[in-house]
Amino acid sequence: MASSRTVALREVPPRDASSQEDLLPGRWSRAASTVVAGTLMSLGLRRRSLGGTVMALASGALLYQGLHSRKRAPSTGGRTALRRVSTGAEARREPLVEVERTITVGRPAEELYRLWSEPSTLSRLMAHFADVTSTRGGDGRHWQIHGPMGRELSWDSRIVEDRPPELHRWESTEDSPVKVQGQVRFKPAPADFGTEVTLHLAFSPPGGALGEALAKRMRGIPAMQVMKSLRRFKSLAETGEIPTLDHNPSARVSAD
Amino acid sequence: MRALCWNGVNDLRVETVPDPEIVNPHDAILRVTLSTTCGSDLHFIDGYLPTMKAGDIIGHEFMGEVVEVGRDVKKVKKGDRVVVPSFIVCGSCWYCDHQLWSLCDNTNPKPEYQQVAFGYPTAGIYGYTHAFGGYAGAHAQFVRVPYADNDCFLVPEGLRDEQVLFLSDAAPTGYMGADFCGIQPGATIAVWGAGGVGLMAMRSAYLLGAERVIAVDRFPERLAMAEKFVGAEALDYSQVESVVDVLREMTGGRGPDACIDAVGMEAHGTGPAYAYDRAKQALHLHSDRGQAVREAILACRKGGTLSVLGVYGLMDKFPLGAIMNKGLTLRTAQQHGQKYLPRLLEHVAKGELDPSFLATHRFSLEDAPKGYEMFKKKEDGCVRAVFTS
Repeated sequence: MASSRTVALREVPPRDASSQEDLLPGRWSRAASTVVAGTLMSLGLRRRSLGGTVMALASGALLYQGLHSRKRAPSTGGRTALRRVSTGAEARREPLVEVERTITVGRPAEELYRLWSEPSTLSRLMAHFADVTSTRGGDGRHWQIHGPMGRELSWDSRIVEDRPPELHRWESTEDSPVKVQGQVRFKPAPADFGTEVTLHLAFSPPGGALGEALAKRMRGIPAMQVMKSLRRFKSLAETGEIPTLDHNPSARVSAD
Repeated sequence: MRALCWNGVNDLRVETVPDPEIVNPHDAILRVTLSTTCGSDLHFIDGYLPTMKAGDIIGHEFMGEVVEVGRDVKKVKKGDRVVVPSFIVCGSCWYCDHQLWSLCDNTNPKPEYQQVAFGYPTAGIYGYTHAFGGYAGAHAQFVRVPYADNDCFLVPEGLRDEQVLFLSDAAPTGYMGADFCGIQPGATIAVWGAGGVGLMAMRSAYLLGAERVIAVDRFPERLAMAEKFVGAEALDYSQVESVVDVLREMTGGRGPDACIDAVGMEAHGTGPAYAYDRAKQALHLHSDRGQAVREAILACRKGGTLSVLGVYGLMDKFPLGAIMNKGLTLRTAQQHGQKYLPRLLEHVAKGELDPSFLATHRFSLEDAPKGYEMFKKKEDGCVRAVFTS
């Protein structure tokens, strides 16, 4: 048992300036939640910051670019890239934020293709960050995102490619303030797993920068929202409903 | 309605909250008749399990009477007396189809938490952190049960409420733990923790054909219960030098064929290793104290099975080398209650299983905080506090 004690002593980390700061009392609870599971709470996934997050998703593409550049050049490249993009963004109109996620749904591709095409489906899938309604007799879609401080962003999209039961592809219309491309693909999964459903979204910024501060809120969020939409689609397809905390009783004002 | 709410670490209060409503077509609303404490609740009450929010209604082990059903509920009817497994399942996904119910893909409204922590999200639970969905719990007058046809099990006439209440969680969890052991004739099963789940695991091990069951705990009244109600042999770890040595001697030098951990992340133990765990957990440097599961790994015979029912977060000093070199099989899960409920109801109806002895103390819902206090401190031999709303 003596050896356990030795191990314990050896494990105490050396105290440099930064680790001393980490030992301040206020940091304890944060450290604990990071250790187990609570990391996402600090990523702004709570409802009150969701609008801001999505606003960042739609218009903060340059920052995403910055984060990627930083990965390629870990020492100083990130900040440089950020500056470069924020001053030269007008020149680029190609999509800068691209997210792709896949989920397996236990239903045949034909059924999933039909469900995705139904006018009410997209609005139910995206309900956690956007209002989606049908336009022009059900073919196109009108998207609206509510941001912080009453800011709103909206655009129209139309189907540009349709290959039942494999693929839907849509794009924002020319007059949209934000360039959005999306596609959903349906591919049979092995054994009894059903169908692999891939959602791909690409956003181009509406010109101008929202600021470096957004970068902090961008990390991982678009992928998370895409994954969440796919999960909602899966639940809808497999069970006919989407799990919800609406009207969930608690001793708080908010339901969730 | 009135409900027991978590307001912070070690701060439980009964408050007036809105009544639940039918929100999805497969929902039912139950009037809760009985609910009970679970040792796993203590992990968030004590602040070791994150993603609770002030105001959350807690409680996941319960039964009740159906008072309202959604438009797509087919089997469950108003007036049914039902017991409900703590994990919420959809009944339609791949995991439900393969009897891996607690892994259901469609009942966790907040999958993003677990996707980060575990890689993939599990099913949701009533009143058990937002990582497990954030659903309102069942220490309340009413509770919403999603996918009611898959989650409500009709209680046969003639069975008392207290005989079936624990079929919500303690009994199926324990039964699953024993099922994991792949019990062969002549098998010896050692179970760490003689609380509700552990006692049910011991009884289940006998039901599944074990020859001997050994209960490892330190509370005389719990060990006495294991002897009296289950027929297990008692081993008080606080009275021996080495549990591993004693178990080896009790089993002809072989070790138990399977070991079940029914303790989890707030294990107690003795000696410097326990002091080390305790200190690290108190400083939030890790979330778990793991003495029980470590001991189970070392005690298990070569080629045996380790069945983990205790709830864990992250633990260090996990003797993976012992598992690997001894060729142990590690089986674990949150309870797949929906798989075991029908046969457990049968065992109760035939008189082969009567979990009502776990209900050592009874309280009104209004006194639930007192019940949890007593349960946590194991005062007066409290194994489970049962609440009547």
